[in-house]
Amino acid sequence: MPRLTRARSTWRNLVHRDRVEHDLDEEMRATFELLVEENTRTGMTAADARRAAALALGPIESVKDQVRDVRAGATIDSLMHDLRYAVRMFRRRPGPSLVAIAMLATAIGVTSAMFTLVDALLLRPVPFRAPEDLAHLWMRDEHGGLVTVAPAVLQAWRECGAFSSVESAEADTALVEFDGSVAVRAIAHVTPGIFDLLGGVRPLRGRLFEPADGTAGNTDRALLSEDVWRSLYHRDPDIIGRRITVGGESLIVIGILSSEFRFPAWNTVIWRPIDLSAPSRTGAAPRARAYVRFTKTVPRADAARIATATARAADASNAQKRVQVDPLAGLVLDPYYQRAVPVLAGAVVLMFLVLCANVSSLLLARLTARQREFSVRSALGASRARLLRQGLAESLLLGALAGASGTGVGWILVSLARTFLPEAFLIRTLNPLDLDARALAFTAGVGLVATIAAGVLPAWLGSRMSGESLRLTDRGATESRGARTLMRALLTVEVALACVLLVGATLLVRSFVNLARAGRGLETRGVLTATMSLPRPAFADAASRTAAAQSIEEQLRALPGVRQATWSFGIPPSGGAISFGDWISDEGRTIDMDVDRYSVGPQFFSLYGIPLLRGRSFDPADPAGTVVVGDGFAQALWPGADPVGRTFTFMRERFHVIGMAREIHHPSLDARLDRPEFYEPFAGVGSYAMLSVRCDPACPDPALIRQRIARGHPAARVVSVRALDDVYFEELARPRASAALALVFAVIATLAAAGGLFSVLTYAVARRRREFGIRTALGASGLEIGSLVIRDGMFVALSGLSIGALAGWAMGRVMRSLQYGVTPGDPVSWTVVLAVLVITTVVASWRPARQAMLVNPVLMLKEE
Amino acid sequence: MASRRTSLLQGTLDLLILKALATGELHGLGVSRRIEQMTGGTFLVQPGSLFPALHRLEEAGWLTSTWEPSENNRRAKYYTLTRAGRRQLEQETAEWNRIALGIARALEA
Repeated sequence: MPRLTRARSTWRNLVHRDRVEHDLDEEMRATFELLVEENTRTGMTAADARRAAALALGPIESVKDQVRDVRAGATIDSLMHDLRYAVRMFRRRPGPSLVAIAMLATAIGVTSAMFTLVDALLLRPVPFRAPEDLAHLWMRDEHGGLVTVAPAVLQAWRECGAFSSVESAEADTALVEFDGSVAVRAIAHVTPGIFDLLGGVRPLRGRLFEPADGTAGNTDRALLSEDVWRSLYHRDPDIIGRRITVGGESLIVIGILSSEFRFPAWNTVIWRPIDLSAPSRTGAAPRARAYVRFTKTVPRADAARIATATARAADASNAQKRVQVDPLAGLVLDPYYQRAVPVLAGAVVLMFLVLCANVSSLLLARLTARQREFSVRSALGASRARLLRQGLAESLLLGALAGASGTGVGWILVSLARTFLPEAFLIRTLNPLDLDARALAFTAGVGLVATIAAGVLPAWLGSRMSGESLRLTDRGATESRGARTLMRALLTVEVALACVLLVGATLLVRSFVNLARAGRGLETRGVLTATMSLPRPAFADAASRTAAAQSIEEQLRALPGVRQATWSFGIPPSGGAISFGDWISDEGRTIDMDVDRYSVGPQFFSLYGIPLLRGRSFDPADPAGTVVVGDGFAQALWPGADPVGRTFTFMRERFHVIGMAREIHHPSLDARLDRPEFYEPFAGVGSYAMLSVRCDPACPDPALIRQRIARGHPAARVVSVRALDDVYFEELARPRASAALALVFAVIATLAAAGGLFSVLTYAVARRRREFGIRTALGASGLEIGSLVIRDGMFVALSGLSIGALAGWAMGRVMRSLQYGVTPGDPVSWTVVLAVLVITTVVASWRPARQAMLVNPVLMLKEE
Repeated sequence: MASRRTSLLQGTLDLLILKALATGELHGLGVSRRIEQMTGGTFLVQPGSLFPALHRLEEAGWLTSTWEPSENNRRAKYYTLTRAGRRQLEQETAEWNRIALGIARALEA
C-alpha cells in the first residue's frame, strides 16, 4: 500500500472524522434506498419492500463498525475511543482513581524534589569547569585561626608557578537603592580574572570584567544577576550602561549574569571589580580572599608547600602560618550531609516504592472487581487485544494525570525548599535549586509502569477466563487466586517498607529529641551575644580599643533589662580558639587533644550560669598564665584529683590552675565537636571580640543593641547580635529537618499501606459476601466472621512486619552515625513502631470486618 | 466473509470487487449485484463484508469514489478503478490463474 495514500487516509479519518462518518451514513442510507427500489420493482408493497431491504442489509451499526475497523488509523481511533470510555468510567466513580492519582502524584513530586536536593547538595559539586582543581586558600595560624592574605601574597602566588590562576572574591552585603526604595542584597568584590578562573561563565547581556575594570577611574562598574535585574529593575532592556546605586555609590551596569551563576556565596547577586594594588576607600589595607586553580603538572602537596613558602617570603606576618587548602568541590561535602542526605534519599525511594505498590494494588482491586465487565465484553466478541488496550487506556489516563499533578507537587516542594530551608542548608550549594527534569521523567516513568501493570493485568485475566468466569462471577465466587496472591504480596511489601521507614524515622526523631534535651552545662535563656570587630586603622593601639570597649559596655549596661555584661574571646556554642597538640600535666602526663580556649572576664561564669566546682573565678590582679579549667580537661590531665593549684604546659607555655568550672557540652552528632575547654583571663579587646549580656526579664531588641554599639564607638563594626537560645535552636536545624522529613515519609508510607490494606480487605469482603452469608446461616457468630477478616489483615501485616523488622534493624545500624543517645535496638522506638503498625492494621481492618459481620443471610439468599 | 451458497476464499473478495469494477463505475449494491451476476449466482456478498472491503480498497488507492445521482435519481456513492487498481487487478488475476492451475493439476493427478 503506498505510504502516502495511507498517511492521507489516516489524516482524513482522524481529522475529518465527522465528514467520514457522515459519508458512511449516507452510503448506508443510499444502499438501503436502492434495495427498497429494487424490491418495489419486483412488485412488493412499500412496507414489505422496506422490511426486506432492512433484512438484506443486516444490522447497519455492525456493518459500519466493520468498516471503521478496516480504516487507516483505526488503532488510534479506537485508542481515542478507549480514552473517552476511560474518562467516562473515571467520571462515574472518581473516588478510587483520585486516590490513586493523588498517591502517585505525591510519590512523583516528593521523589523528584528530594532528588533535586540530593543532586544540588551532594552529587554535583560546584557548577564550574573541572571543579576538582578549584580551591580556596587561607593562612592558618598555630591556634587554628584562618586569615585572608595581603595583596602582595596574592601577587606572589600568581607568580610562583604552583597555580594556573589565582584570584580574589570577597562576599559582602550592600544596600541597593531602586525606585526610591532600598533592599539589602549579597554582593561580592572580585578581581576581574575570577570568571576565567572558574571557567565557562558567559554573560547573558553585556560583558564580564576586563583587567582594566577596578583600576583607578574604572571602579564604578557592576555585573548584575538576572535575579536582581528581574526583581529590582523590571527586566529593563536598556540596563547595560545604566547607573544604579549600590552601597551609596553610583555604578554603571556592564553585564547581566545568569541566575544560575552563584559565587562566591549562594546568594551573591551583584559583583564589583576590585583592584588589590590600590588602597581601599576607607584607607584600610585591602585583603585578598584567594581562590586558585591548580595546574595539572604540580602535585597538590607540593603546590601547598610552595604557597606557604611564597606567602612567608612575601609577607612577614605569615611567618608562623601555613597555607590551608579548602577544595571548592569539598564545600558541599559537609560530613552531616554526607551521612544524612543518602539516608533521606533512601527513605524517599522506599516511600516511592510503597506508593507505587499501593497504586498498583488499588487499581488491581478495582479492576479485578470489573473482571465481570471484561468477561462480558470478551463473551460479546471483544478480542483480548481490545480488552488489553482498554486497560492500557485507563492506566495511561491515570498515569498522565498523576504525572502532571506530580510535576506540580514537585515544583511546589522545590519552591518551598528554596524559600523555607534554613540558610544552613542552602549555603552548602552553589548550584541553583530547580526541579530536576531527569528525576521527574524517571519517577513519572516508573509511576506509569506501575499503573500500566496494574491496569493491564485484570484485563488479561478477564479475557483469559471469559466464558468460565462469566458463570463464576455470577455466582459470587471468591477472588481469583492469581490476583489474590499478587495483591497480598504487594501489601506485605508495603507494610515491610513502611515498617523500615517508621523505624528509621523514630530513631531520627528520638535522636533529635535527645539532642534538643541534652544538657549544655549552661543557662541559655536570657543571654544575648554581640560579636564585633574593631578594625586596625580606626583603632591604632590597645588603649583606643579599651576605651571603645568601655564605652560600648556602658551603653549596653544602660539598656533596660540588662543585668550583666562581660567581654570575652570565644562564646558558646562555637567556642573560642581551638588549640591542638600535646598537653603535659605537672605529673608528666601527656595528652594529645583538641581544646577550646576561651579568654573571659571575671563575670563570664556567673553570666552563663556555669558553676565553679572548685577554686575561684578570675581576679583583675591574677598574673598571666592563670587559668580556670573545665572538669573534662581536669579529668583528662589529673584523673580523679583536684586540679586547683596544679600546673600544665602547652607549647612550652606554663599555666597555673586556680579553679575548675563545670564542663560546657556541645550536643552534636559529631562527638569531636564537644571539646574540653579552659579559660584564660580576658586580656583586653583585640580586633575581634564578643560581648555577652544577661538580661532579666527580657532582652532588648538586637537592633537596639546594634544601635547602642554604634553609639559607643562609630567605627566598631557589628558582625552579629544573637540570642543564645536562637543560636542553639539553629544548631538543631539540620537534625530537626532530617527527623521531620523522615517522619513525613514514614507517615505517608504508613497511611498508604493502611489505605491499601483497607481497600484490599473491603474488596475481599465484597467478594466473599456469599461465603459469610452461608457461614452465618450455619451458625457462625458475628465475632467469628469479623475475626476472619481481621485475621486476614493481620496475616498480611505480620508477614510484612517480620520482613520489615529485619530490614529496619539493618537500616538502624546503617544510620548509626545520625543517632544521638539511641541504639538501633532502642526498645522505646521499636515498641512505638510495632504499636503503630498493629493499631493501624486493626483500624484498617475494622470497617471491612464490620461489613462482613453485617451480611444478612436471608437477604443474601434473596439476591441469589 | 460469508456467502449463502459458497464461502469465498480468503482474498477472493478483493479480486471479485476489482473485476466487477473493471467495466465501469458502480455503487456498493451494484458491485454486489455484478458479482452475483458474474459468478452465476455462486457468490452472494453480504454488506458486512462488502462495505469494509470497498473502504479498504479505496484507502489502498485502488478505488476512488464520487457521489453521483443513481438510477432512482438519488445520490449514491460510486466506485471507480484507479490506475493502481487496474494494475492490482492484473496482478491478482495472474496470481489467481496460477493458483487455480496448480490446484486443477493437483486434483487431476
